[in-house]
Amino acid sequence: MRFIERESGLKKVLRSFDSFIAINLALAVAFFTLFLILPVLSSAVEAFLDKGAISLRPIIEVLTNPEYVRLPPSLEVVRVEPVYGIVNGSVVPLGYIVSIGRYGPDFGKLVNSLFVSFTTAAIATVLGVIAAFVMSRYRFPGKSVFGVLLIVPLLATPFVNGYVIGRVFGRDGLINMFVREVLGFRNVTIELVGLPAVILVQSLSFFPIVYLNAYASMINLDPSLEEQAENLGSSGLRLFRTITFPLSLPGVAAGAALVFIFSLEDLGAPIGVKAAFGLGLHNKLLSYDVYDHFRKAYALELVSRSAYAVTFLMLLISSVGFILIRSYVSLRQYAMLSKGGRWAPRVRSVKGWRKVAVPLGLAIILAITSFPQIGTILMAFSDWAITGTAPRNFRIEYFLTIASDADIVRAIGNSVRYSLMALAVMVLVGGGLAYITSRRRVPGSGVLDLLATLPIAIPGIVIGVGYMTFFNTYFRGTILSPVDYPTNLLVFTYSARRIPFVVRPIYAGLQQVHVSLEEAAHNLGASRNRVYLTVILPLIIGNVVAGALTAFVYSMNEVSTSLLLGARDPERAPLTYWISDRIGGQTLGAVSAAAAACVLLMILQLASIAISNTILRQRVSFLGV
Amino acid sequence: MSIELVQVSKRFGKVLAVDKVSVEIEKGEFFTFLGPSGCGKTTTLRIIAGLEIPDEGRVIMDGADITYLPPHKRDTAMVFQNYALWPHMTVFENVAYGLKVRKYPKEEIRRKVKEVLELVRLEGLEDRYPTQLSGGQQQRVALARALVVEPKALLLDEPLSNLDAKLRIEMREELKRIQKSLNITAVYVTHDQEEAMVLSDRIAVMNRGRVVQIGSPEELYGRPKTLFVATFIGKYNILEGVVREVEGDTVSIESSGVRIRGVLPSSDVKPSVGEVVYAVFRPHGAYLKPSSDRDNEFFGKISLVSYLGEHLEVRVETKLGKMLIYLPPDFRLPLGESIKFYVPQHNVLVYPKKGEEVYSV
Repeated sequence: MRFIERESGLKKVLRSFDSFIAINLALAVAFFTLFLILPVLSSAVEAFLDKGAISLRPIIEVLTNPEYVRLPPSLEVVRVEPVYGIVNGSVVPLGYIVSIGRYGPDFGKLVNSLFVSFTTAAIATVLGVIAAFVMSRYRFPGKSVFGVLLIVPLLATPFVNGYVIGRVFGRDGLINMFVREVLGFRNVTIELVGLPAVILVQSLSFFPIVYLNAYASMINLDPSLEEQAENLGSSGLRLFRTITFPLSLPGVAAGAALVFIFSLEDLGAPIGVKAAFGLGLHNKLLSYDVYDHFRKAYALELVSRSAYAVTFLMLLISSVGFILIRSYVSLRQYAMLSKGGRWAPRVRSVKGWRKVAVPLGLAIILAITSFPQIGTILMAFSDWAITGTAPRNFRIEYFLTIASDADIVRAIGNSVRYSLMALAVMVLVGGGLAYITSRRRVPGSGVLDLLATLPIAIPGIVIGVGYMTFFNTYFRGTILSPVDYPTNLLVFTYSARRIPFVVRPIYAGLQQVHVSLEEAAHNLGASRNRVYLTVILPLIIGNVVAGALTAFVYSMNEVSTSLLLGARDPERAPLTYWISDRIGGQTLGAVSAAAAACVLLMILQLASIAISNTILRQRVSFLGV
Repeated sequence: MSIELVQVSKRFGKVLAVDKVSVEIEKGEFFTFLGPSGCGKTTTLRIIAGLEIPDEGRVIMDGADITYLPPHKRDTAMVFQNYALWPHMTVFENVAYGLKVRKYPKEEIRRKVKEVLELVRLEGLEDRYPTQLSGGQQQRVALARALVVEPKALLLDEPLSNLDAKLRIEMREELKRIQKSLNITAVYVTHDQEEAMVLSDRIAVMNRGRVVQIGSPEELYGRPKTLFVATFIGKYNILEGVVREVEGDTVSIESSGVRIRGVLPSSDVKPSVGEVVYAVFRPHGAYLKPSSDRDNEFFGKISLVSYLGEHLEVRVETKLGKMLIYLPPDFRLPLGESIKFYVPQHNVLVYPKKGEEVYSV
């Protein structure tokens, strides 16, 4: 009898690392440690430093400062003010201004941010769930067109979307033109500013995120679950309320959580609304506060302590939200329980008056939610950005102003360069990461799995601030110094923030490649590197390309770190920085150039979606926890 | 190549999938692991392929310890249950893959692929993609892909389970023919006992991660060592009773007041008087006429007759419960009629009840 020894646990772990796994694992661990975890941690540490000592003072100061937590809050949402004029030498009332959001609500920056994010998430959820239910369960005239149009609101028009709202809801905006010219109320002026304006802009832009997640959940539901309920006499709204909605809650919750986090970190709406209305309550938000602190400080050492405390609070809010939603979603994966093959989702035709009502209702939702995009296009091709209450004088010349705008042209080049470099990093790190997590051969792959989705949950502002503190402390004088080469870091903020867009589709592709295809090659003598190149990669190349395209587009669109780091070196700053500059610019044609640049971004995004959909032959839902 | 597993164990979390399995497979042998699903047979095969590393024990091939050798360095080729044909490669590319890995010259690859496709009777389909093939053809490609590298051992994981009944029998014969003509060691995994009986030189019956019995098909069917093997292979009747008398390897038991005589399947176990045991006999062990005066006699009413071609399957309600017997097809047996049948003593096997397991579907 041979001697049989028991292998130690360590030996077992070591054996599961061949060179392929080891290299990829090392890459992923090094990448996330250096470019995500350490920067974020060091920004958090800064929040607890007061004159070199560890202290809770910066946090307490923020929490007790009426700027951040206003007591009592102002709840004066609507104020009606008379406008006086001098007619024939005497002061007479000319009319009234109805201001919504100019004087309230205002709870202080911290609570304002929470209020805006919650409200935005709630509105986006209602809109998204309605759209998802209608799209996943009913057949009606024009459905396929709506399927395409529903992603329009997702097209990024950073800053310009807020400005468009100003053009619609401002004192000289379209709404007032309608009130005066069509309704005939010549003495009433309505305006929508402050937090309600931010909530409006964000709800419109973010509702497709809930829609896509809810839609994916609903079409993946086992049809027999609903059929059983119908069979027992349930139908219509009751069926939705008791069966469909509860079962698709994981998708809905994931979408809502994303909207919450995106809203929390959003800089586009506050800056865009500011460009249209000037500084106001719409800027009393945490994201804008941090940005403003860093923008105004000439040297990083001069940035106020409270900026770090606020950054930490943003991190705290978003990570608590992320952890709650992740555990909730994993607890409630009923939808996937009986998932065998691909089944046809239950779709029914609408009948009677609903044949008109359903498409009409959707069209109205769409017309409202895609107004920022429509408005951006109008601005890029008419004089709307320069003058007048309604867009007139449609000409291509407005659009072409970007060609002569040297800053914008250079910025496009910068953005493309940073995004492409980030893309190389993402595909390299993300491909290996997806492989390791999907095959689960290594202990600790659960942690990697978490790391692959974590960047979605960390506000860009936090990452930007983290980079400035971390790389300024440990990489001073190198090419990664935020003082000397702030924009070099953008390559890594882009890759750290957008890597989930690469990992997710590759992971999904790997899930569809049965592991026995790999084992068969392995068994015939191919090494793991060879298996990866000859068997796996050809089978998932579509997913790699789709993921890479999405990540590239979302890098081009990136706002928070582009602004934070770009502001420190405008020469090398990316496109989104210059759009924010132009939208606030006073020169003629500046806003047109910003709008035109956004049109370019939209075209880029549409092209990438079209290519991805063709490659993967299915609708891609890019976002999800 | 000879393959030896020495006290091999494998755990997945809390589940002990393979529990101290030891077998010796000889060169050129067709060896089958047979057992119900979840018994550990596929894991055992994957351990031989190197796709799983055992927690304990050793894998020996041709005298060399290869327990920790990665799969691509072992000279084994596996045929997967789902065939695992690469959808992005043609039949030719699929089959040629292993040869390319081994850096064969182009001409030789062409020649070898042609030969092996002839062997599995797939000439002319080189340029098709797997999705353009029928199930049986896919199966042959998977086999060709494994055979072409001239492995020292062929590993087959339920390769016929995705085929329809008729094709399965055809491929079964094909497989046996190819294995014998190449004189290659084959390790086969299946839950289908008929398949195992037809194909194998020897079978290891597995249950709950353990090998319960190893033997030729005849041994397993005629002399199952344990109650599990007896009840897993073939149809059977089972009666519970109390031992009244033990004499050599013959045992006399009493079940519901009826005396039944049977034999002990192995000399390892000897039940004592008063112990509760099971008596097992197969449906074709029953006759309508007694062969000697020591035969067991049963009496009951016919409740179901099924015509199965070569024999009749007759269900009889007896005092001891339902029994299943096979009778020649020319009998006329009206339902409800009383019938008397005899089971010779050597056709009844007696197993102790304690610690034994009955296989039930």
